[in-house]
Amino acid sequence: MGSFTFARLLPEMLGLNGSSQNASILASYLNHGGHDVKILDIHSSGDAPLQVDAVCVGSGSASSLLPAATSIISLVSAISRWRSAGALVMAVGTGWDLLGHTVTTPEGEVLPGAGIFASHADHRGTRFSGEVTGIDHQGRASAGYVNQVGAIALEAGASALMSVDDAVLGYPRSEGLVGENLFATRLGGPALALNPHWCQDLAQALLEPRGEKLHRTEFHERIDHAATRARRLIDARLGVVRN
Amino acid sequence: MRLFAFALAKILRFLTRLRGGGSALPGFFLLRLLPHALERSLGTLPLGVIFVTGSNGKSTTTSMLTGILRAHGLRVFSNPAGGNLPQGLASALVGSATLCGKVAADIAVLEVDEAYGPQISDLVTPDWVVVTNIQVDQLNRFGEPEAVYRLLATLGMKAKVGVVVNGSDPNTTALGAQLHAAGSRVEQMRVSAPAQASASHGLVSAPMFFDSPPLLAVAAGVVITAVEGSHTSVEVAGVAASIVLPQKGLHYAVDAGLALEMASVVVDNFQLERAVMALENNATVYGRGETIRYRGVDIALTMMKNLPSLQVNLDAFSSPLENVFIAVDEGTPDPSWIFDADTSSLASVSILSGSKAWQWALLLEHRGIPYGEIIEDSRAGLDAFVKRVPAQNGPLHAIVNYEQMMLIRRIAGYKELEGA
Repeated sequence: MGSFTFARLLPEMLGLNGSSQNASILASYLNHGGHDVKILDIHSSGDAPLQVDAVCVGSGSASSLLPAATSIISLVSAISRWRSAGALVMAVGTGWDLLGHTVTTPEGEVLPGAGIFASHADHRGTRFSGEVTGIDHQGRASAGYVNQVGAIALEAGASALMSVDDAVLGYPRSEGLVGENLFATRLGGPALALNPHWCQDLAQALLEPRGEKLHRTEFHERIDHAATRARRLIDARLGVVRN
Repeated sequence: MRLFAFALAKILRFLTRLRGGGSALPGFFLLRLLPHALERSLGTLPLGVIFVTGSNGKSTTTSMLTGILRAHGLRVFSNPAGGNLPQGLASALVGSATLCGKVAADIAVLEVDEAYGPQISDLVTPDWVVVTNIQVDQLNRFGEPEAVYRLLATLGMKAKVGVVVNGSDPNTTALGAQLHAAGSRVEQMRVSAPAQASASHGLVSAPMFFDSPPLLAVAAGVVITAVEGSHTSVEVAGVAASIVLPQKGLHYAVDAGLALEMASVVVDNFQLERAVMALENNATVYGRGETIRYRGVDIALTMMKNLPSLQVNLDAFSSPLENVFIAVDEGTPDPSWIFDADTSSLASVSILSGSKAWQWALLLEHRGIPYGEIIEDSRAGLDAFVKRVPAQNGPLHAIVNYEQMMLIRRIAGYKELEGA
């Protein structure tokens, strides 16, 4: 069984509300399949190792945007190096915004992003705070809680992670972004915990290049069950009935 | 009109209490009929009005400050814990005022919700505002901690005399510095580094990123020098004292420090010994560390409003908790923050309950913390808990959100409602 290294970017600035814990959740998912995972917290370019298997970044608050944008710029060469070597990138909320092409601040200033995701974030809009449910790009029920300001637009050709159910009012019909070794969402906090099928996808993306498969255990069955029950309650609160 | 409004509100209060609890309804009606009721009744008190606000610790600080002031012979008007919205404050006034709206008090100490602070200050202008802290709290409601900072800054500017801040919380320090620079009187209480180190996660302040580190050039009147369990050492104007608080933990020591700071400023003949005695005899605030009895079993309620409140309470336990009851419901719309908690002091969970129980189960699974059954219905869950968990030294432990705390108290036959 292999071992993996995850780089968790700027957790002190981009770790609001459980969002940087997705790295731990994916690590736990792999651990229970028999794989070791080491999570390195990256605070500056000096912390960046030569190679990592996955890059994880969470979300932040308004005052973290400018310092995080500055810090991300200093990490662009490391992120590009990791990407070139095949690293997977998983981003949530503000972290996704900053790893996209541009971020427009509430004051209208356009900040350059790291250019990893084909997306443009705009923080000038209103805040959406509420539960969201829908069907992901592989037809699986998916859900979570979004608490984000403004909007994010995907560039032509980019694929959304999920389509949002019509019962969710005031939120765009498409959510997130997926691509080769790329995963981004505005579902805040532990999106991977509520949606372990995404853990499965990411774990598979990490294991396949090594010719390995995830060995599923009772743990994986239990979290699938708990997450399904939790998502069904979200559906029920939103008045969504699924077959 | 004044007589009529208070009479009607008092009748409403009597009727709502007949059904076995309190209500914010009398206050709501009073404010509809008499929008200036709070200002007219409290605005003329000889020692003024103190607001206590912030992310956490409002109820306990209010209770402690009220106790210290009463120990100095002052008559204090206050609102019950949690009744910190306009109608809750007005309901408390209905309960205490005469038909003419007169309150027999020298000073008012009001717990005020941080979001409603500016609005409440339009109803009654505070002389002083005590700001306990700014922590990551109710992001579904506030969006981000910066929004709370802005609300508290707006409220602080309205204080007629000044503001007392927690000078060891970087955010309230920045707030104090901003208000001081704007010409406000600012007093601060500080927590020494060793005292902060007494809790694994310190003061759990909200992370905010200021352009330049804020400096508050005001000497601290009260310094918490050491905390060990419920033993707290303080210096008040350079005089040392030891206090044995009714509850363990750094967060209770901070609340006591803020209460001492405020009291030492407003009481002419402040006596430290009296203040210490009042703090040591302070009753536990409703639901915060309170022990209730259900089916012959003592259950200690630990409330988790948010990550900081969960963390400071977990940090305060001297040994890992076993066979805990956890209940969370819709009152916590987004429980994502539980994944940021250090749960090393949670050894095992017996029952998970409430509509967010499955989200807690996911956390426990990923942390490898064993748990028993998930019973979404709180009453059934509580029944199973007291039946199955073996007797132990001291009470069983329940970690619950605010709404579940209220529900469990009702299930256990505790009829009075918070804020009544």
